Amino acid sequence: MILHIDGLYKSFGDKEVLKGLCMDVPEKSVFGFIGKNGAGKTTTMKTVLGLIRPDKGEIRVNGEKVTYGNTATNRYIGYLPDVPEFYPFMTAREYLTFCGEVTGMEKKAMESRTDELLELVGLKDEKHRIKGFSRGMKQRLGIAQALFGRPKLLICDEPTSALDPVGRREVLDILSAVREQTTVVFSTHILSDVEKICTDVAFIENGVISISGKLSDIKKRYRNDKYILETETPEGICAVLKAFPSAKESGGNMLTFSEKDESVKEIMLFLVENDISIVKLEKAEPTLETLFLEVTGK
Amino acid sequence: MRATIVCIKKEMTEQVRSGRLVILGMVFVLFGIMNPAVAKLTPWLLTAMADTMAETGMTVTVSDPTALDSWAQFYKNIPMALIVFVLVEGAIFTREYTSGTMILSLTKGLKRYKVVVSKALILILLWTACFILCFGITYAYNEYYWDNSVAGSLAFSAFCWWLFGIFVIGLLVLFSAVLRSGMAVLGACGAVVFAMSLANMAKKITEVLPIYLTEGQALICGRVEKGSFTAAIAISIAISFICMAAAVLVFNRKQL
Ligand SMILES: Nc1ncnc2c1ncn2[C@@H]1O[C@H](COP(=O)(O)OP(=O)(O)O)[C@@H](O)[C@H]1O
Ligand SMILES: [Mg+2]
Repeated sequence: MILHIDGLYKSFGDKEVLKGLCMDVPEKSVFGFIGKNGAGKTTTMKTVLGLIRPDKGEIRVNGEKVTYGNTATNRYIGYLPDVPEFYPFMTAREYLTFCGEVTGMEKKAMESRTDELLELVGLKDEKHRIKGFSRGMKQRLGIAQALFGRPKLLICDEPTSALDPVGRREVLDILSAVREQTTVVFSTHILSDVEKICTDVAFIENGVISISGKLSDIKKRYRNDKYILETETPEGICAVLKAFPSAKESGGNMLTFSEKDESVKEIMLFLVENDISIVKLEKAEPTLETLFLEVTGK
Repeated sequence: MRATIVCIKKEMTEQVRSGRLVILGMVFVLFGIMNPAVAKLTPWLLTAMADTMAETGMTVTVSDPTALDSWAQFYKNIPMALIVFVLVEGAIFTREYTSGTMILSLTKGLKRYKVVVSKALILILLWTACFILCFGITYAYNEYYWDNSVAGSLAFSAFCWWLFGIFVIGLLVLFSAVLRSGMAVLGACGAVVFAMSLANMAKKITEVLPIYLTEGQALICGRVEKGSFTAAIAISIAISFICMAAAVLVFNRKQL
């Protein structure tokens, strides 16, 4: 385990944000850390970086214990904050050089690493000072600086949240491109991003992790026997609902039902007998969305 | 060591590119020129006014200016220059707290004390350069127009005032480590200096207060002895060191 969090507690005043959070991030995974706004994602990440002192609990990075303040474990970590800000008076190249110099890298290695990363994040020909960068450019530079020291663990706090679809796509591509080199943990509330690139996920809810594991396992575990039925008219839905009370209306002339409760054949028969015209009847692939809703019980 | 040098270099680049260096340079040069200029022009202005004054029945006696008048201006104006310095540089730490730029360097394994050391050093360096610039210009003009030798203990009085600046920088660094906002830092520094000038009125403790170092004017006129500064110098140096050390300790535990 590259990152191991055990029983993490943190309150701000009388607001309990983390209530015994436990999480394990396996090596070489792309780990999606999912939760709503204000769930405590940033707090968890900052605690891992020794920027916030936890009330209780233990964090290990690459087997070493994290301490508050100057923590030696940060040498394993590359960090991209939710709103990355860089020295506005520098250019992207100067900033990366500064990063390399701060970590005490050799000049030769530093220059080639700078070139490599500017290439990776598409800022190679950017000569302007960071002052004039867009959100997306800052986010990409943020990934480059986080990767600079070849960290074993890359922690990105909501790297895609404030970006437009193109910027988001670019960032996701970069993150999945670096997964051979490092373990990526990124927080988000956008489930489709997670589905695109993650191998592992954890949901944070009420200060604890409610589900976590391999994305494929979780999908399998929750692989439900759910079906979606859409009819042309609301009356059709009403009729079906009346005949099959276990089905759930899901809005817009649609309902969902589970094969456990109702036989698909019977419903089809019912549709034919009552001459209800349908738009579709399909097996529902479990999406993170549905999982998420199920987890959060809404 | 190397990381500290890198940080100092970065601070210097920032001073240059943000235009702060130019502002400080201009202000201190301006003050440097103003001191002898005002000393030179005051009698001339008074003479010009003397005629109109005479009409109303007042007589004005105008004496020729000397270097002492110019140095009097210097010690009257240098507090203003220090205030400008603190206003321009007061947010050197807090700016990085609010923008979050410091978090990135620190999470790369940059030791926290190196941030404090590099920023403190750059402040000391800037203050020293600015002070020498201002002092040097006034000195050169004075030497050209008059004669600096009439001012006693000139170098010593300048050293004392410079040291007072270092003391204020010590306060600035400490308060920057403790507080979060630039305004709070400025307020805290101002409050300490203000409290000292109030205490300065209570005669007994005067000579041990760092603010005694600003009595350069009294020193060059010979109103006070060099020896009376020993305590203030020792105490100011001690407090500056304590402030810097405390700043490092506080900053190590600071939540960013
Ligand atoms: N420094 C702080 N002081 C007080 N409350 C805070 C502080 N930081 C975060 N919080 C609160 O903790 C909760 C979790 O915040 P955060 O970790 O930023 O959530 P997320 O990143 O998942 O959106 C929020 O309700 C927020 O208001
Ligand atoms: Mg957040």
